[in-house]
Amino acid sequence: METSRNLERRTILKAAGVSAAALGLAGTTGCGGGSGSGDGTVTIRYSWWGAEERAKKINRTIALFEKKYPKIKVKTDFQTYQSFWEKFQTQAAGGNPPDVFQNAVTFLRKYDKRGILLDLKSQVRAGNLSLDHFRAGVTKVGEVDGKQLGIPVGSNTMALVVDKKLFQQAGVEPEQGWTWDEYFKALKTIHDKTKIAGDTGYFTIMYLYDLYLRQNGTAFFTKDGLGFDRADLTEWWTDGYNRVKAGIVTDPKTVSQDLPKSSLSARHGASEFTWDNFTVRYTAEGDSTYGLAPIPTTDGKGTGQYLASLMLSASARTAHPKEVAQFIDFMVHDPEVGKIMGYDRGILASTEQYAAYKPTDTVNKEIAQYETDTAESGVLGTITPHPSGADTIEAAFLRIGGDLGQGKTKVADAVKQFLTESEAAFQA
Amino acid sequence: MGHAVTLVKDSAPAARKARPAAPATAGRPGRRRENLAGYLFMSPWIAGFLLLTAGPMVASLYFAFTDYNLFNTPKWVGFDNFTKMFDDPRWQKSVEVTAKYVIIGTPLKLLLALGVALLLAQSRRGQAFYRAAFYAPSLIGASVSVGFVWRSLFSDGAIVDRTQTFLGFHVGGWVGNADWALYCLVALTVWQFGAPMVIFLAGLKQVPKELYEAAEMDGAGPFRRFWNITLPMISPVLFFNVLLETIHSFQIFGSAYVVSNTYCGPADATLVYTCYLYQQGFRNSQMGFASAMAWMLLLAVALVTAVLFWSQKKWVHYEEDTR
Repeated sequence: METSRNLERRTILKAAGVSAAALGLAGTTGCGGGSGSGDGTVTIRYSWWGAEERAKKINRTIALFEKKYPKIKVKTDFQTYQSFWEKFQTQAAGGNPPDVFQNAVTFLRKYDKRGILLDLKSQVRAGNLSLDHFRAGVTKVGEVDGKQLGIPVGSNTMALVVDKKLFQQAGVEPEQGWTWDEYFKALKTIHDKTKIAGDTGYFTIMYLYDLYLRQNGTAFFTKDGLGFDRADLTEWWTDGYNRVKAGIVTDPKTVSQDLPKSSLSARHGASEFTWDNFTVRYTAEGDSTYGLAPIPTTDGKGTGQYLASLMLSASARTAHPKEVAQFIDFMVHDPEVGKIMGYDRGILASTEQYAAYKPTDTVNKEIAQYETDTAESGVLGTITPHPSGADTIEAAFLRIGGDLGQGKTKVADAVKQFLTESEAAFQA
Repeated sequence: MGHAVTLVKDSAPAARKARPAAPATAGRPGRRRENLAGYLFMSPWIAGFLLLTAGPMVASLYFAFTDYNLFNTPKWVGFDNFTKMFDDPRWQKSVEVTAKYVIIGTPLKLLLALGVALLLAQSRRGQAFYRAAFYAPSLIGASVSVGFVWRSLFSDGAIVDRTQTFLGFHVGGWVGNADWALYCLVALTVWQFGAPMVIFLAGLKQVPKELYEAAEMDGAGPFRRFWNITLPMISPVLFFNVLLETIHSFQIFGSAYVVSNTYCGPADATLVYTCYLYQQGFRNSQMGFASAMAWMLLLAVALVTAVLFWSQKKWVHYEEDTR
């Protein structure tokens, strides 16, 4: 009771203008952070985003690490994707980011520009971290302007995750190289036969539009801006809206109610464009069986796909760069860690871990097969790190696309709004 | 929320300690020492206020006039952030959503609070139980878990949806419906009518019984008694409740954030002011703009408060005025 009364009192004080105060608080979060102790033991902070499942696995790998390095203690923290980055930004702004953290290509330039990321090259030279024994090309994902800002733990690629039962029921069989026309026809067939929308909202997914643009010779981002114009996006969103109307794409109303679940696992859609390792999550979340299908193409060949990656990055302000490097090295190279993690964060990036883990269950086997097939079909391109602000733009694309699908915004207004917000995001 | 009662009780404890025990000691040498002791007792609060409230407020006032992304050195831009607001369709939307929420939610909540207070003011068996029962939602209503419960109550196929369908009109779940989502939040705040209810109850107890007896003898019916006696007599309490609930409503954040699963959607339908402020500051790295928004909110709330205070001359009757 006492605490709640105090809280209430504060609420009153707030009436005098608290929201302002709450904001300023951001500036005061930069405390704490002492991490050494007398006997030479150091503590490093490690945070990541993901679900409970991932946390359980990671905690097991940390136990292994602490056994091998008894002088290094690891303090952990995890949230969902969105919350993770909000918290991270606040911590980083206060000068107190975690020593080591999960990272993705969207955030490299943003936090490099803000001076938050440690160039791990120096630790590689010092022999604390090895860049050898990685599967072909994956370490490239963590490189920005000659600096190594992230070390990949796993690689993934965009895919079409499908509800296999619904696809079978409708008699639809995706093939490598199928075209967008064939894909949309398939969605209609699924909707006709099962009464369930064929897709959960392809037109709101930045990474998919990126693939579509890549199939047509551009990309979502250039080095410092957008790789498409008003007319391109108007066409993409108009088509998307019409398909929601036609019922072959899930109503965004439903999508927003299904959150935090995906509409695919909630059985309100038969397929979803997302990262291939998400089948692990959907299998845990939903009742059906989920598989991977090829990305539709424009010319019957190119999918525009590339290998992306989840990485571990270090804070430029860490007091223990050596220990952090040893930690990352252990996490990416140790075979036991690979066995524990499986393909939770994508196909294991180092050859040691890749060799150590052989999936036995269908879901993980399929992910491996998918990436092998994709690689063999020769469609994989390379990824350039996104410009600063890409994360905000990704969220705006999803949000505005969803609003549009609700019929609350006209396409022209939505496109205008998106371009305005993108402009602001690049400048922020 | 129990803020109203506690404001009265809580806002002065430290000051009370500082006050001399009796008027007799005033002016004596001991007074100074006692004052010192008083300030000493207050010091944790003062330190907290300076460090956690006043300091950040001053900082945010400065940020409001700068271009600041949390990492750069704030760059002075004058009133740019403020003028930008009026061109920003999402800012306009957030103002509209918040205004709707305040204008619809506050009166409904107070009406319900007053209605229930009138019922509970009559003495009958189990009165204490009823008071506690009606107050309970106010204690838990602001919690995150209730937000989650609300979210599931108002989803497609959940109880609200099914009840509506049973009653013959179908709108589906409110949470995902851009036309209805805000009413989901309104319902949540109205449900937490306990705090104003308790204050109304206290107010009702203060109304002298003789007035009713006299009125009854003159043949006034229940409605006239309410309109001509109860309402004027509790108008200071009513004013207090209107003021607090209005100010409080402007600051809605938690329920919008949780019920919409952090997006304050769908289609910005629950994009309340503070939620947009939060998104701009913490998601879009526009801390300068967000600070400007915060000060704009402060100005708006101050203005509304001023108008309310001005209006009380017209409808609030304090005891000394009644003859």
